[in-house]
Amino acid sequence: MIESNNLTKYYGNGESRFKALDGVSISIKNGEFIVILGASGSGKSTFLNVISGLEKSDGGTVAYDDRQLNKMNEKELTKFRRDNTAYIFQQYYLLPHLNVEKNVRMGADLDKNKDYLKFIEAVGLSEKRKKFPSELSGGEQQRVAIARALAKNPKVLFLDEPTGALDENTGRQVLDYIIKLHEKQGFTMIMVTHNSNIAETADRIIKMNSGKIVSVKENASKKAAYEIGW
Amino acid sequence: MVVSIKDSVKLFGISIMACCAVFVCNMFLNYYLDLTAAADLINDFRAQSLYDAQLMTSKVVCSVSGGCLAITTIAMLFFYIKHYIDSHSKEIGILKALGYSDLKIAKGFSVFGLSVFTGCLAGYLMSFLIMPAFYEKQNDKGYLPDIPVNFNFILFVLLVILPSMLFALIAVGYSVRKLNQPCVNLLKGLAKVKGKNRSGKDKKDFVAEMRSSVLRSRKTLVFFIIFSSFCFSAMVQMSASMKDLSSEMMGIMTFVIGVVLAFTTLYISTTTVIRSNQKNIAMMRVYGYSSAECKRSVLDGYRPAAYIGFVIGSVYQYALLKIAVDVVFAGVKGVPEYNFDFPVCFITLAVFIVVYEGIMFAYGKSMKRIPLKQIMSE
Repeated sequence: MIESNNLTKYYGNGESRFKALDGVSISIKNGEFIVILGASGSGKSTFLNVISGLEKSDGGTVAYDDRQLNKMNEKELTKFRRDNTAYIFQQYYLLPHLNVEKNVRMGADLDKNKDYLKFIEAVGLSEKRKKFPSELSGGEQQRVAIARALAKNPKVLFLDEPTGALDENTGRQVLDYIIKLHEKQGFTMIMVTHNSNIAETADRIIKMNSGKIVSVKENASKKAAYEIGW
Repeated sequence: MVVSIKDSVKLFGISIMACCAVFVCNMFLNYYLDLTAAADLINDFRAQSLYDAQLMTSKVVCSVSGGCLAITTIAMLFFYIKHYIDSHSKEIGILKALGYSDLKIAKGFSVFGLSVFTGCLAGYLMSFLIMPAFYEKQNDKGYLPDIPVNFNFILFVLLVILPSMLFALIAVGYSVRKLNQPCVNLLKGLAKVKGKNRSGKDKKDFVAEMRSSVLRSRKTLVFFIIFSSFCFSAMVQMSASMKDLSSEMMGIMTFVIGVVLAFTTLYISTTTVIRSNQKNIAMMRVYGYSSAECKRSVLDGYRPAAYIGFVIGSVYQYALLKIAVDVVFAGVKGVPEYNFDFPVCFITLAVFIVVYEGIMFAYGKSMKRIPLKQIMSE
């Protein structure tokens, strides 16, 4: 269970100081797929960064079962991320001088996972495992990022606009991979997006605006990646 | 355009190298010219012998230190230009897409000649500050006539004006060559991504793979790391021998120049490695790699190069001084015998290990300060 309680986060100083998160509280069950929906500047990415332990909040708490993130120092946070979380970003952030296989090993080695090739296979890139990121399309690069994230067997997967840089076909394909792998492996998944269609694939949809949660909706009519509009 | 005068300030490493080279060369060449001007006043055997030896010393010192530093400065200039084009590939790509020719863009790189000019001018002026004391030391036994310090304009042209113009031209020429690639590659930043698959099965763990790839991606830095430890090893050990072979003043000068060059090159190399891997380090930390693991993957690959440089430096300084004593000054009386100084070598090595490992440790700690948010916000 992940619980955030009254999270606040400020950016800037003096007159330019603004509240990016304004009392955000939420509980997320293990294995749940949450989509955080909001326009640019709504605070959704800040929330993702804070709840995942990449950034510290200025107020409030984040707890993973009985472990409080805000009480951890940098070393403990690093260990926490190593043991529990994985990330997929809009811009992939693959290591450019390493081939697909070695990029995936970045995640796999943290979990001493020798069976990492199955993740490359799962995202359909077995034939391209010796290719370098510059030799792959955007969709393929994002699939490598997915394989890298999943190869470390995370308990929680954070995704920040994972299809934001992809065209519709590739975006659907990538989303389909992610959802299927989530269903198969049962990790908790928290995705940030501004695309309300994508939100229809989640268990729960959280809408944010001006740093606050404005609505929380259980999604009874969950759809597959190829059933939603784009 | 893309390159501004402000960018030339960032090439302070080149300025420092140029400064050291011109400082040494101007001091010895100016003395050489002033000494030859007084050749008619030399009329006894002792003075003639010292005169010949000092002319020979000036030639050897200028050729070795000047040549060595000139080559390294050119290598550093090439490295900077390549690094600049890699890190500004998008802006350059846009200019090319708009129709700017390679030459027109490359002309902007001529401002890098300013860094050379600044360094050369500083070295030139500094050498005049120390020259009176240097002239006096060269003739402390009084065998030679009194030689006044003269301003030789030709040296100003040869050591300040000409190198600045030459380096500006080299900068333009090299950047034209580097810019000669499709603008799409520049726009996509493809120029900086050249991976290489090695044959055989990949058995190394990720950190080891990363270490090899960091090393392969910036091979020039291996040269600079070798050069850095080479300078430290050669010049610190040489400075210890200078007291007996030349003078204490020469020893101090050699020591200072060696340490300045070593630290400047090490600083530039290490900072460049970390900066160019900032995103990779941030991503590793996001995934939970510790700063010690990040350091191992980014910096530790250069350690063998550093120690190789130290060994080369030790051998080089021994060979140079041995040749100077046994060949160049073979006929000069009063030159002491020279042998490899093992205690000095061991002390220098011990200091080098402490300093190098200490600096790498500090850089490793500084990786903690790379903001993770930086990569998320791009």
